[in-house]
Amino acid sequence: MKTYVIQRLVIALLTLLGMSVVIFTLLRLAPGDIVDILFSTAGYVSQDEKTAIMKELGIDRPYWVQYLDWLRQILTGDLGKSYRYDQPAWQIIRPLVPVTLELAALSTLFAVLIGVPSGVISAVRQDTTLDYLLRVFSLAGLSMPAFWLGMVIILGLVTWFAWIPPLSYVSPFQDAKLHAVQFLLPSLAVGYRSSALIMRITRSSLLEVMREDYIRTAWAKGQTGRVVIWRHALKNAMLPVVTVIGIEFAFLIGGLVVTETVFNLPGVARFLVQAILWRDYPIVQNLVMFIAIVVILSNLLVDMLYGVLDPRVRYGG
Amino acid sequence: MAVRGVEIAVPARARARSGRWTALVRFARKKPLGAAGGFLMLLMLLTALFAEVLQTHDPIATDATATLAGVSAEHWLGTDHLGRDIYSRIVHGARVSLVVGVASTLLGSVLGGIIGLLSGYIGGTTDLVTQRVLDILQGLPLLVLALVMSAALGPAVHNVIVAISIPIIPRAARVIRSSVLSIREMQYIEAARSLGVRHLRIAFRHILPNTIGPFIVLCTAQLGSAILVEATLSFLGLGVPEPYPSWGRMLSVSAAEYAQKAPHLVMFPGIAISLAVFGSNLLGDALRDTLDPRLRGS
Amino acid sequence: MSRVRVALLSITLLALAAVLLAPSTSQSQSPKSGGVLNMMLREDLSQGFAIHETSTISTVWPAMPCFNNLVLFDPLKKTESAETVIGELAEKWSWQDNFRNLVFFLRKGVKWHDGQPFTSKDVKFTFDMLREAPDSPAKLRINPRKDWYSNIEAVEAPDQYTAVFRLKRPQPSLLLMLASGYTPVYAAHVPPADYRSNCVGTGPFKVKEWRKGESVEFVKNSDYFIKGRPYLDGLKYYVILERSTRQAAIQAGKLDVSFPGETTKTAAEQLKKAVPQLVITPFSQNVADNIIMNMKKPPFDNLKVRLAVSHAIDRRALVQAVHQGGAVIGAGLAPKPWGFWGLAEKDLVGLPGYGAKAAEEKALAKKLMAEVGFSAQKPLKVEIATRAIAVYVDMASFVVNELKQVGIEATLKQIDTAQWHATATRGDYQIGANLTGVGPDDPDANYYENYACGSPRNYSFYCNEQVMKMFDAQSQELDPKKRLALNAAIQKRLEADAARPILDWKVDYFTVWPHVKNLIPHQSIYNFGRMQEVWSDK
Repeated sequence: MKTYVIQRLVIALLTLLGMSVVIFTLLRLAPGDIVDILFSTAGYVSQDEKTAIMKELGIDRPYWVQYLDWLRQILTGDLGKSYRYDQPAWQIIRPLVPVTLELAALSTLFAVLIGVPSGVISAVRQDTTLDYLLRVFSLAGLSMPAFWLGMVIILGLVTWFAWIPPLSYVSPFQDAKLHAVQFLLPSLAVGYRSSALIMRITRSSLLEVMREDYIRTAWAKGQTGRVVIWRHALKNAMLPVVTVIGIEFAFLIGGLVVTETVFNLPGVARFLVQAILWRDYPIVQNLVMFIAIVVILSNLLVDMLYGVLDPRVRYGG
Repeated sequence: MAVRGVEIAVPARARARSGRWTALVRFARKKPLGAAGGFLMLLMLLTALFAEVLQTHDPIATDATATLAGVSAEHWLGTDHLGRDIYSRIVHGARVSLVVGVASTLLGSVLGGIIGLLSGYIGGTTDLVTQRVLDILQGLPLLVLALVMSAALGPAVHNVIVAISIPIIPRAARVIRSSVLSIREMQYIEAARSLGVRHLRIAFRHILPNTIGPFIVLCTAQLGSAILVEATLSFLGLGVPEPYPSWGRMLSVSAAEYAQKAPHLVMFPGIAISLAVFGSNLLGDALRDTLDPRLRGS
Repeated sequence: MSRVRVALLSITLLALAAVLLAPSTSQSQSPKSGGVLNMMLREDLSQGFAIHETSTISTVWPAMPCFNNLVLFDPLKKTESAETVIGELAEKWSWQDNFRNLVFFLRKGVKWHDGQPFTSKDVKFTFDMLREAPDSPAKLRINPRKDWYSNIEAVEAPDQYTAVFRLKRPQPSLLLMLASGYTPVYAAHVPPADYRSNCVGTGPFKVKEWRKGESVEFVKNSDYFIKGRPYLDGLKYYVILERSTRQAAIQAGKLDVSFPGETTKTAAEQLKKAVPQLVITPFSQNVADNIIMNMKKPPFDNLKVRLAVSHAIDRRALVQAVHQGGAVIGAGLAPKPWGFWGLAEKDLVGLPGYGAKAAEEKALAKKLMAEVGFSAQKPLKVEIATRAIAVYVDMASFVVNELKQVGIEATLKQIDTAQWHATATRGDYQIGANLTGVGPDDPDANYYENYACGSPRNYSFYCNEQVMKMFDAQSQELDPKKRLALNAAIQKRLEADAARPILDWKVDYFTVWPHVKNLIPHQSIYNFGRMQEVWSDK
């Protein structure tokens, strides 16, 4: 078990290193840099000033020097200074993290609350109208663009209820009720979309398990349907579901970008898009690495969970 | 899949044709949702192919006298803020979404498939390294990756296709690889190898055809996602540039501004996107159920 | 009671009745103190409060409350001109030596937000830095308006409360440029780079907190040098990236004031319908849609081709199609009555593209193109560049359609915002659909930035020595009537040369809730954001 964990950790670290190279390169490939953007806000370009600023920010150095410098900074815990705001990146990102984490957590919660029960019902009542309806409902969520869903929700709220999202973040300690309202709708919107995959996997996993011999044996032995399902089938069906929940949590970031923008929540995802548009390299690089670490860690945790629960996986490919 | 049990003197070709048709009908009856999805995709394909015929106006012609008009006999789905006919733009948008979606899906899936095939078959260190590289690509969130790529390559149709195809590669590789792994150990492959058949031949002649099923499933599943990413990129201003009408771009800033006065600006393109993705997802689900024997019955 | 007494009593009662029953006019409402206004921002501040290092309204609007200028355009007067300039940090000023020297007598007892006293040292520091004097102790990282100060020979501070600007040649416009929101005074004891994260000014409001990407909060400066001002207790500027959310917010009353340049005619109509009591004021933003054409390379080095483009674009139809009527046609400077110097509509007739009959204009354009060898059958293929932002793209799409009708086939090329100015400055384009905003409605600021030989913002590379002399002549002209006439001639000449055909001047429908008083938009969005006179009747 120990070698397994160490092996996975080393692989994870190498993967992160690779990712750092990819994100570093991609960013530099994008045309224009912070200096170009600064000049565009100034409405003109001056070559002398441009050279001076590039030197000040250190982006006139060769790429490999900049890359190594970045690695060195990460290892010493220095997350660099934002090109746009001229302030330590961590200082700017720190108040944004709890917002995104809360949104992600609530969305996953809703996704599970919607996805698992509908998956179970759908499996138990396979091929009935209820099954079809649930599958259509779940798939519809997956098919709608996240930004469109948000736009339509807000349009409806404004038109029929004259309600708009709160203009700035309200912490739960300031006003719990307003905070709940602020987070409820976007979490539901994101959670609805995430629930589709969870519902699907729950359904297929449960169906697969229900065909297993030991389930049939239990039925043959005379145990009633519901007990069979809850005691045996569901427990074993949950493994792939847990995997998917972990994966969905990591993939939430994509949906969170547009949701935070449309619902005006000051989170990390929305800030990331702005940072990309501004070519704010330190912010983008560190945020993307942060997301990558979260993704890899969650993958690792799920793998370990798998390894603990299912001994077949531990030593196989 | 000929009809068994009854001897009918039908020429071979006709038998095959009726066989295919019967299979289709059987599929539709068994998987009505899948058939509905297939119908939606067919509708989209026809719309894309015959856009010029189906349009009622020139999709890029502006009309200062008829801005933000509602649904009418003249403009079936109304006009936008520049007076352009929304119905015609949606019809042409189907072409853009389909072309970009299919091209990027195929590009990503084929490249990924080849990588997965080789990686799975060769195995060993090559496989391990390839897997880690793919992990890296897959670790970055799809939207962020497409966003950065699109900014890197610039707004042009072919660049958007490349940008969307890149995140598909690792997913495709993974699916094909696992399929290859399960087939590789099978007896007849062992037999072929012991007979001295070259590896490349084994890979492409024997293993590849058996991955077609999962490949088709993968493609239809990714198509929906590709269409969504294209729409999101266009919405953010990084996708297909003017003057090609894109469903995603029709929903961006201009639409949002006039949403309250003219909600049809927001509703119709969004419904179009949703239907297209919905159709591809339904079809993909049904195909997966039918073609992937491991999941049959679920 | 005696008759006299009755008479007196009646008169008193009548007088009393007259006073009590007389209708009170809103002008005689006396301002109340207190209240916080919620303001709108459509993006976060680009370089914090460093007004001198940017040219965008996104910085000027939220940063103005923190600063003071030497002089400012009177916030309460709608039309800006030399007559409406009032003193801020300068109590009095006087032109000397036939508009060659400008002497400012500064206010005493003014304090910076950190408690340090304001003196002439700060004025000398700021303007030496702006004009990039060789002995200037500080340097701006980016200095977009350097040209405004190119005529300043020296800035002297003979004593603590006097500052003298010595000019190379007479320039009455200098005072107008100093009165723009773009010209605050920086503190000599604060490094200019600090203004990118915080604001040490002398202005009516102090920065309380800047939550990046979210909001900027100001509190009243209780030590402000004008007693009783500001009226408001505070200001809060909210960053809202989504247009529909911004509109919904002001409609719902969550925001009190719209962002200058944000509200189009259609949006205004929507708002008025939903909330009839909103106060909506149309005004010219001093922002013009225009066409830039690279005169260094063919085909636009040819005057006929340029004129064809100008004739082809139906200005009035563009105003309708792209702005739903929320713009006005005009030449190089904002047209009357919206602006001070521009040509009125009747004077525009006869200039290319402004003819009343669009069909005739297009016929003329086709003829010009035929003379150069192009037609609908054999069109001139060009690439029209524009910024990848909705407002630019809409305008460009319309232009593409217009050009198609006269034998010019243009494909639209969208350029990422980060690249736009660099691309245009390099001349890496053929023809472009552009937007230009000018600080004050002033000929000097406009001409020298956009049409002068060698100016980095002269994207068309238009260079005409004769016209440059005309610029200089009007700049030094002291007689206002003569100056207006000279400017009219220049505008006509620029359009005849198709230097940078102006398509329209955008009108903003500035929206405030009725309890917001004394916030009067001017004919330039960059100059009325001080918020000193604004009060809330809640």
